[in-house]
Amino acid sequence: MTEKQEIDRAAAAKKPVIELKGICKTFDRRVVLDDVSLAIEEGKTTVIIGPSGCGKTVLIKHLICLLRPTAGEIYFRDQRIDHLSERALGAIRTHYGFLFQAGALFDSQTVFQNIVFPIRQHRRETDMSELEQIVKAKLAMVGLDGFQNYYPANLSGGQRKRVALARAIAMDPEIILYDEPTTGLDPIRSGIINELVLKLQRELSVTSVVVTHDMNSAYKIADRIIMLHNGMIVADGDADTIRNHPHPTVQQFIHGEVSDEDLAVLRMSGKGAQSQFSPQDFDPRSP
Amino acid sequence: MLAGKWSHAEAMIRDIGRFARFNWRVTSTSFLACSHRSTYPLVWTQMNIIGVRSVPVIMVTGAFVGMTLAIQAYDQLATMGFEERLGVLINISVVKELGPVLAAVMLAGRIGGALTAELGTMNVTEQIDAIRSMGTDPVRYLVVPRVLACLLLTPLLIIYADLMGVVGGAMVSLLHFGINGRAYWDYSANSVELWDVAIGVIKGFFFGAAIAIVSCYKGFTCREGSQGVGQACTEAFVASFTLILAIDLAIAFVAKAVYLTFWPMRGLV
Ligand SMILES: Nc1ncnc2c1ncn2[C@@H]1O[C@H](COP(=O)(O)OP(=O)(O)OP(=O)(O)O)[C@@H](O)[C@H]1O
Ligand SMILES: [Mg+2]
Repeated sequence: MTEKQEIDRAAAAKKPVIELKGICKTFDRRVVLDDVSLAIEEGKTTVIIGPSGCGKTVLIKHLICLLRPTAGEIYFRDQRIDHLSERALGAIRTHYGFLFQAGALFDSQTVFQNIVFPIRQHRRETDMSELEQIVKAKLAMVGLDGFQNYYPANLSGGQRKRVALARAIAMDPEIILYDEPTTGLDPIRSGIINELVLKLQRELSVTSVVVTHDMNSAYKIADRIIMLHNGMIVADGDADTIRNHPHPTVQQFIHGEVSDEDLAVLRMSGKGAQSQFSPQDFDPRSP
Repeated sequence: MLAGKWSHAEAMIRDIGRFARFNWRVTSTSFLACSHRSTYPLVWTQMNIIGVRSVPVIMVTGAFVGMTLAIQAYDQLATMGFEERLGVLINISVVKELGPVLAAVMLAGRIGGALTAELGTMNVTEQIDAIRSMGTDPVRYLVVPRVLACLLLTPLLIIYADLMGVVGGAMVSLLHFGINGRAYWDYSANSVELWDVAIGVIKGFFFGAAIAIVSCYKGFTCREGSQGVGQACTEAFVASFTLILAIDLAIAFVAKAVYLTFWPMRGLV
């Protein structure tokens, strides 16, 4: 690497790779994201935490423009992308790997075909033995070598998630977006996935954005943690900042405390509620 | 009340607009994709699924149409002593109208439903989003091969339906009613023109494209859940059926005008 390239790289490292400016997203007048601005730095691991249903998946889908914002702008390396056509976005999306929360594997294709899909789509000259090598390597990374000829329906939930992860990293992307990579995995597997995220960052200086509920893994992998609540960013900083954050919602979330109101609701629906509701009130056929 | 009606109408207009945009995207992407080598294997696979496996059911449809027509029409012609012209009636009806339309309706049921269900399930399980996330245009990867396969194979399938219609009609006429074979075929050959067959086959291109595009559109826009997929399939069938009949009418108008322009005398005889 020449000196000039080194300087360019250093300059690039300071610039955000992806930038969201004032993103709002509404579904049928329901506000899910409310004026979110966020800059993802190159080569860093950004973790997004927040309670279920607060809009984490919606946010991470905006980073790759799978969802278009109702208002606001999205930039990828200083290029505005939120108004591009799908065809133009295709070229940009090849820089990304995206792990869907539910895996989103092609259920009529085998594990092998799933993983070679992006490679076949974007690389011209690839012979079979080379593809087999790549698939073997990627599957080994997630501990599933040997499952090449399985169909997704014949895998367990956690295995599907790991195959989806192997597919997301198949093209060796510069940016990887993980939507809950460790949910549904046992503690040891989660640990391995955390190591994988760290390893990709260290060795290939991959930029990662990880959505998670798992505070242990967040502390372990994050350069920066962002907490989302009611569609807004309530906390932003490194692991220590978050640990000592003054905001009560943040403290409650990271310690997994159940609020008194929630407890009161639970108690209501327990013994005391039996006199109010009889089982007949719940018609199983009603939606 | 009025507001409810208005919003319903607004939703419908928006749906038509989206369908028009989808059509445009499919058309432009199809032309682009034709120059890509990677499209051909996909089209080939779809041709196998869509075309080859439809042959038996299409042939059965054609045969039944021909046989039924023969039985229905014989009595009227026989009372006037025209029974030898039964072939004219059967073969023109089959080749020009009933063969193409019934074959297309059969295909709408057989392929249209399957396409909508497949793409609809892919849509609700985020598989289409997954294709987008990997930088591939789902229209190019999923829709274009299906549309091209349908468009290219429906005319061929219609030829099969025509063939079996003619055979079925002839079988009933000659074997069951005992009409003179020589006269039957002579009358048929003299009055069924290449033009009639060509119009029937040309319709196939439009029917095939309509079935595939409508079914793919319904799959792409279906609502969440298994109920959403089921409903999309029903809507796809109803919409493609209606569209087939509408296209048939439009082509009948156009074909007649063209025919009268080029062969004005024969049209009057
Ligand atoms: N396509 C959609 N149409 C309508 N509403 C949606 C859609 N997608 C998401 N939402 C709404 O947006 C809100 C946030 O959803 P999102 O999936 O981002 O939650 P999340 O933070 O990822 O939750 P979890 O941790 O449980 O995955 C939800 O209340 C959901 O109802
Ligand atoms: Mg989510």
